Amino acid sequence: MSLRILALPVIALVLVGTMLGVQLAYGGGTFEPLEPADPCVERPITSRSEGIDALTEQLVLIGLDEAACSLDTSREALTLDLARGGPPTDAEVEALQDGLLTAVDRMAADGTLPPASALVDDALDQADLNEFLETLIRAIPDSVIDSALHTDDVLTRAIEDIDLRELLANVDDQQALNEQIEPAVAQAVKDSLLDRLRSLV
Amino acid sequence: MRRAVAPLIAVAVALVLADSAIVTLALPDILFHLDTTVAQVAWVLLSFNLVLGLVAVPTAIGFRRARPRVLAAVGIAVFATSSAWCAVARSIEVLIAARCLQAVGGALALVGCLELLVVLYGERRGIATWISAGVVGTATGPVAGGLLTQAFSWEAIFAVQVPFAVLAVPAALAVRDGPPPAAGPAFARHRPAVRPNLTLALLSAALTAALFLLVLLLVDGWRHSPATAAVAVSVVPVGALAARPLARLLRPPAAVEVGAGCFLVAGGLGGLALLPSAELAWTVAPQALIGLGLGLTVDQLTVQAVHLRQPRVEHASWTISARHLGVVVGLAILTPIFTADLEDAQTPAEEAITALVLDAPLPAQTKVDLARALGELLVDQQGQVPDLHAAFEATPVDPADQAALAELEADLDDQLERAATHAFRDSFVVGAGLALLALLVVVVPPLRRRS
Repeated sequence: MSLRILALPVIALVLVGTMLGVQLAYGGGTFEPLEPADPCVERPITSRSEGIDALTEQLVLIGLDEAACSLDTSREALTLDLARGGPPTDAEVEALQDGLLTAVDRMAADGTLPPASALVDDALDQADLNEFLETLIRAIPDSVIDSALHTDDVLTRAIEDIDLRELLANVDDQQALNEQIEPAVAQAVKDSLLDRLRSLV
Repeated sequence: MRRAVAPLIAVAVALVLADSAIVTLALPDILFHLDTTVAQVAWVLLSFNLVLGLVAVPTAIGFRRARPRVLAAVGIAVFATSSAWCAVARSIEVLIAARCLQAVGGALALVGCLELLVVLYGERRGIATWISAGVVGTATGPVAGGLLTQAFSWEAIFAVQVPFAVLAVPAALAVRDGPPPAAGPAFARHRPAVRPNLTLALLSAALTAALFLLVLLLVDGWRHSPATAAVAVSVVPVGALAARPLARLLRPPAAVEVGAGCFLVAGGLGGLALLPSAELAWTVAPQALIGLGLGLTVDQLTVQAVHLRQPRVEHASWTISARHLGVVVGLAILTPIFTADLEDAQTPAEEAITALVLDAPLPAQTKVDLARALGELLVDQQGQVPDLHAAFEATPVDPADQAALAELEADLDDQLERAATHAFRDSFVVGAGLALLALLVVVVPPLRRRS
């Protein structure tokens, strides 16, 4: 075959091949949105928050992972599903509650759960107590608080007591959330202390 | 005036063919200003191509005995009037009706102008000028449309055509009539050239993918301005300019030239399907190859379809018909694919955004505030690639976390660009498939007739 016939097709092949080769070498074909990670594989949770906010964030993130894993979906898909405002299914509520309880166990097991004394100041700042009572509680030594209250116990009781369906419905209303969570945590603290006293008697 | 006659007639041809894709970059503006739907606004593009594709051949047959200068002058006048009507249209229905009339005028003008250019330049050069003007118009249409939309408004696209077209009317009337068309039993009437016309139709469908989808990706997906998109897609006409010198240097047989051109268009579209990032620079090489392919194929195929075939104007109209119906077929095939892919891209994009927000190194309250703002914004912009900046602006943040928030915004924009780019991938692949089909039409040997 003559050069006249071959030259242009060869040039076209080289141009197209070079272009596609360079593009593939630089990631062409993989320029796609981030794939959701497998929620059943543990991932490190870091938080820029402090105190109760940090604890809540870590519990929610681990809890979401655990719930998504048991529902065989991604953490992101479950979050979007819950955030879109529709009523959650029984399976989602149950998985979320189990997930949060597992999160408490996991954090307790790996020692990342803060002692109760570390949360007292933050809790008192957020609570609407009279000044005298607040000062009295702040005066209690940390060692006394930590021996009387175990964080994992309080959290487990609060999670079991909270109506998660209502909590999810109130997720856009900070005041309604506080009104729901504070009594549940207070009750959990009370129950935990009573149990502790009973065990001492 | 006499010196300006032929250029003005060539400009009229270029204007008519530029109108095929000139509104592409203005569609988002038209959608907004005429308060219409995506489906309706697509008809601003479709109606012109469909009507031009359908009336080109009947016009050539019906007006075979008309005087070309009168035909051209009437066609250009109708085109100018309807262009002005497009510019003042205040509803989508009126704009689509005006576009249909513009296409009818365009068909009359193209048929008349071909004969006038042959009278002025002779058979070979006249046809070559008519074809070249068409290629220049087709290739530069989207660029001109984008720049005019950005600089003025979408109405300017149509308004600027009016004075050029008005000047072309006396230019057409100034050309003396050529010899009357041959008639009678000795008059050879050739069949339409199926292969070049079919290749032209398939290539036009593929080129629709290149121009229409690329500008949509640049403007709606990557959120560039129409002017930036116009400059970016100007690589196609620049690439087309390189085709003639290359063909003159290598002097390949016509079939080889067309085959290589089809392959380059397919390769360029394949390149657009495999973009490694949302940087404009990555679109340059694929577009250059598409432009080169366009330059090697369209005029060569048009010459093959018209050369030495009688009646000349009828065969030239078949090429117009093939090209514009090819555009319509391309849009009909590709629009449902990319609209469905854009819808499908929404879920992975939202999940990627959710993952990044959940894992962002920001205080929990900032994440909650941002998630709430993003949620409201995404609900408001269903079906379109959203601009997330407003959600970040609305999120209160500690100055110490400002840098992390800015980084998160950049990451989320990157995810949106990834989702949009990915959503166009299948359409570009289908476009490449259409160009390969055109290549197949060129390389498959003709069936031998039994003697």
